[in-house]
Amino acid sequence: MTTTANSSGPFGGYDVHQTDSKAAQWQADKWMIGGTLLMGTGVLGVFGLPLFFYGLHLQHMAAKSGLSMRPLIVTLIGYLVIIDSSLNSLGWSMDLLANHSLINRVLTAGWGAVFDGGYFWHYNELMLGDTPIGGAGAPGEKAWEISLIIGCFAPRMAAAIGLLQMKRWGQQWLIVTCWMGVIVWLGYNLNMTFYADIRYSGVTFPVLGWWIYDIFYITPFLALPYLHTVNREIFSE
Amino acid sequence: MSEKDKELPVGTTEPFARMHRWLQRGLFVCLVALVIEASLSLPGLLIWFGWPTLSVTEVCHELMKVRWHNDDAECLVPHPLWGDNEGTIYRDTAYDEWGIQPRPKYRGIHYRDLVTFRDERLAREAAAREAAEAQGIDVSAVAP
Repeated sequence: MTTTANSSGPFGGYDVHQTDSKAAQWQADKWMIGGTLLMGTGVLGVFGLPLFFYGLHLQHMAAKSGLSMRPLIVTLIGYLVIIDSSLNSLGWSMDLLANHSLINRVLTAGWGAVFDGGYFWHYNELMLGDTPIGGAGAPGEKAWEISLIIGCFAPRMAAAIGLLQMKRWGQQWLIVTCWMGVIVWLGYNLNMTFYADIRYSGVTFPVLGWWIYDIFYITPFLALPYLHTVNREIFSE
Repeated sequence: MSEKDKELPVGTTEPFARMHRWLQRGLFVCLVALVIEASLSLPGLLIWFGWPTLSVTEVCHELMKVRWHNDDAECLVPHPLWGDNEGTIYRDTAYDEWGIQPRPKYRGIHYRDLVTFRDERLAREAAAREAAEAQGIDVSAVAP
């Protein structure tokens, strides 16, 4: 193990090593958090990517120098789950709450015209009684948006933060919320299948286009095999 | 813990080492792809539709004209905060085969099609004006 030099001299014991490791991890995390905030916005993602990779590089170098850092795969899972949940929640929140903004009518409805007619067909007509709701009017879509933001993506983001802090509850809740992904993918895609005329008629890149665009959102399923096979003793109570 | 386990990342044991390595690679690919895709979606779609020949607002107008099959449909920018749904006015002009599983009948939008659609519409409107003028009708009644 590399000797850790710090203000208390070269005779760093366990506590010093722990303190140095924690400081180095936080230093790396600051870059990765900054990057993730930008990547979670979607449009600014390319600016966030280098910041994130710089943080990852700092973490790697600190680990190489002998400090106890978070395993790389845990870091990747934690931040990627946050980005995945942010992008889903952001797009759906825009459709729910900002559906008459110019950017939403071009980005979300335009994306609908190209990949998923559910976001183009009779867009901004949906009502709840006399109250205009707007946004996607495809059968079931609004119910999925609201229930998944509240019931899946928000708790999944909280769990990912817990995982990044190497907490046991973070690992457990990430398992729970990632398994929810099975219901999300099955239910959502079956709903699209039964209303396939709305979703894919007149769409530029139907079905296959949707899958190619959306396949990168399956990341929770890459997290599950790891979360079930990792030695859970590395997570603290 | 075996000697081999000590060389592995913390939390990874020998039986799962290969799987963890492949998952890590998959996570890298997904992260980079997801971020690049999300960043390029807006500029990519705008270019696909016809920007910069069409402004962002004009893209919005043209999308609405396709959706409701209505040359009069236009994006109100900015839309009033608590205003009505924009679609309420136009819903009846959309082409649909109605049923329990409705089927939309709008035109697919291929590369730069919105520019073509706009040019076709302007040509249609110009032809209508010319025809009206030839018949001695007040053109302001026909002009958009």
